[in-house]
Amino acid sequence: MDVAYPVGLVVVAAAIIIGFTALVREKDDLHRILLTDLAEILALVLIALVATDLAEALILPGLVVGISELMAVSEVYIAKEGLRAPTGPPFRIEVMNSAPGILALILVAYGIVLSGFTGGVIAAVGAVFYFMCRGHTEQFELIETVSGYAWAFWIGAFFIFMFLPGYWFFGVMIAGGAILLKVMAKMSLVGTMRGGGPDV
Amino acid sequence: MFNLPTTNIGGPELFVLEFGDIVTYFSPYTAALFVFALIFTVLAIVSRPERQVDFAFGGDAYYTKVVDPDLLRFQRFMAIACGLATLGAMVTGDVFNFTLFASMVGITNIGIVAAYRNRHVLNAAFQYGIVAMLASIPLFGGAAIVLASTGTLSMWELFGGAMAVPLIAKAFLVLGVMGEGMAPFYIAKAEITRAQGAPFILMVHVSSLLLFLRVTEIVISM
Repeated sequence: MDVAYPVGLVVVAAAIIIGFTALVREKDDLHRILLTDLAEILALVLIALVATDLAEALILPGLVVGISELMAVSEVYIAKEGLRAPTGPPFRIEVMNSAPGILALILVAYGIVLSGFTGGVIAAVGAVFYFMCRGHTEQFELIETVSGYAWAFWIGAFFIFMFLPGYWFFGVMIAGGAILLKVMAKMSLVGTMRGGGPDV
Repeated sequence: MFNLPTTNIGGPELFVLEFGDIVTYFSPYTAALFVFALIFTVLAIVSRPERQVDFAFGGDAYYTKVVDPDLLRFQRFMAIACGLATLGAMVTGDVFNFTLFASMVGITNIGIVAAYRNRHVLNAAFQYGIVAMLASIPLFGGAAIVLASTGTLSMWELFGGAMAVPLIAKAFLVLGVMGEGMAPFYIAKAEITRAQGAPFILMVHVSSLLLFLRVTEIVISM
């Protein structure tokens, strides 16, 4: 642990002070949610400062917990204020008709080449874009099923690491492919979140 | 911390399961907490919400309130999830897993409280949600500082006495659990104890109490 860690801690401490001061001064509830989300990034920064492989593995669950808390609080805010989804003409531009097929194909193919977390995200961006532009006709069950099997394969790969360490390459390939599917399935749900229906 | 011999706090270990350096274990103390949480989780599974009766003052008339099945299902799911998270927090032998389970208790507490559609209750749930989110900074921060200063997250090694955990990490852990386990105080402010779904509200109190007891053990033993 060299000089970077204490310096980073000081920076984070300053950021926490600034963030909490802003939260105390802010009275609007929506802005307080946004500020809280910003403050939560600091928890991830504290983990990231450790800068080891283990810390890298800890950031993902920390991020997931933070996002789920943010979603829960946002739902409470929507229910509290009685907000409804705005009605109006759907957003359409020309590129949304011509581009989705080829762009989604390129991104998904490149994501499969990358594999793992990064590949999952890249492939998911393609899937999100496709679903947003072309609409979706209730493929949720398929996506959920694929995601569930991918999770099971991922866990199975960890059992290979634990009990049959000699077959580690096999385990790496299963885990890499499964996490690709898993992340992609999770993120492509985002593309279907804009109110539903064929016209976005 | 108070010169207590660390082996005498939780008592001798009853059961040990090793995953590498992470050791899941039961001591008489954590086993008692685990059984307590288990009983209340089972109660949340089998119990049915009470149907409330409002008497009209000065006469024989009364109103019976109906319980919305969707609301009931959601609250029961959240109560069971809260029980499972509490069980996890009781048995885990890893500091970071403990903080994750504590955060999950916080999320499910928001869910249990927010299921009841009343403006005051939702306001209280919102305020509690903000506090629970902010509490994840000291919670994860505490675990991260433990990892940075000792190089391990395993309670088994941290409790051994060979590692010196900085005071700030312990303080952060306690502060984080205080934020996540603060739900009962907001409950008291809201009128939710008079709302329907009374057995599920119990889970909020049980999980908060058990989290405090467990973090006390962790912090004193480290």
